[in-house]
Amino acid sequence: MAPSQDPVFAGLGQAMRVGTDLLAALIVGGFIGWLVDSYVLDSTPWGVAVGLVLGLITGIRNAYRAAQRWQT
Amino acid sequence: MMWVVVGVASLFLLKAGAAKSLVPSKIQSMAELLVEFIQGIIQDTMGPSGMRYFPLISSLFLFILFCNLLGLIPGTYTVTSQIIVTGVFAIGVYGLSLVMGFKLHGAKFLPGILIPPGTPGWLLPLMIPIEIISQIARPISLAVRLFANMTAGHVILGVLVGLTITGGLLIGWLPFSFTIVLYGLEVGIAFIQAYIFTVLTCVYMGDAIHLH
Repeated sequence: MAPSQDPVFAGLGQAMRVGTDLLAALIVGGFIGWLVDSYVLDSTPWGVAVGLVLGLITGIRNAYRAAQRWQT
Repeated sequence: MMWVVVGVASLFLLKAGAAKSLVPSKIQSMAELLVEFIQGIIQDTMGPSGMRYFPLISSLFLFILFCNLLGLIPGTYTVTSQIIVTGVFAIGVYGLSLVMGFKLHGAKFLPGILIPPGTPGWLLPLMIPIEIISQIARPISLAVRLFANMTAGHVILGVLVGLTITGGLLIGWLPFSFTIVLYGLEVGIAFIQAYIFTVLTCVYMGDAIHLH
């Protein structure tokens, strides 16, 4: 049996994937918001706030998509 | 240490490929299993057209796997526990998938990755920033995942060994038994992390090849 069809191996793989994806999207969103705040618009709290919310949405959406892709 | 890893991996494959017997020896069947495993990953994620990239994917997988495994031998150094190494890999892989996408699809590639199919027009101002964030997050999560898993595992092992030495004979056996259990877990994580890195590489390249 090929290991790529092994349910335990693939399951652990996707579980570890989703966790980091959530976090990375959040960090990137916040960082872009911070960049916009400090260098582009000078609008201090709002860029980070909007960026974090967008990052959160992105992370949840990516996790949802990954779960859907593996469900079959 | 990186060259040691490359040397050991090459030695393993050269030894495995030396005697091409029809009934494989132990080491040869290990290598054949490995090749079929990577082949299976590529077929699952990229389809038959992805076999062109087999040399890249297999060397990436082997390098990360041997880095992880050789780093577990006490006294050696784990190359993949440095974020600069994993970061260069992740950015390289992601940049390659972007270059491939632009080469295969031309200017259609950019809206192809930024606008998911079936998006209504009024959602575009929301979807495009989300997709941009998700694209930028890809190499970061790829790099951080491998780095964090390897570093965290080694830090835990180090702390437990430190506790063993501090505890002495009276209580030191308790953290030492944890060390043994966690060592087995770390071997598993070494395999799984190499597998995840390879699978995600294939997925990103597959996204670049098959534009939705």
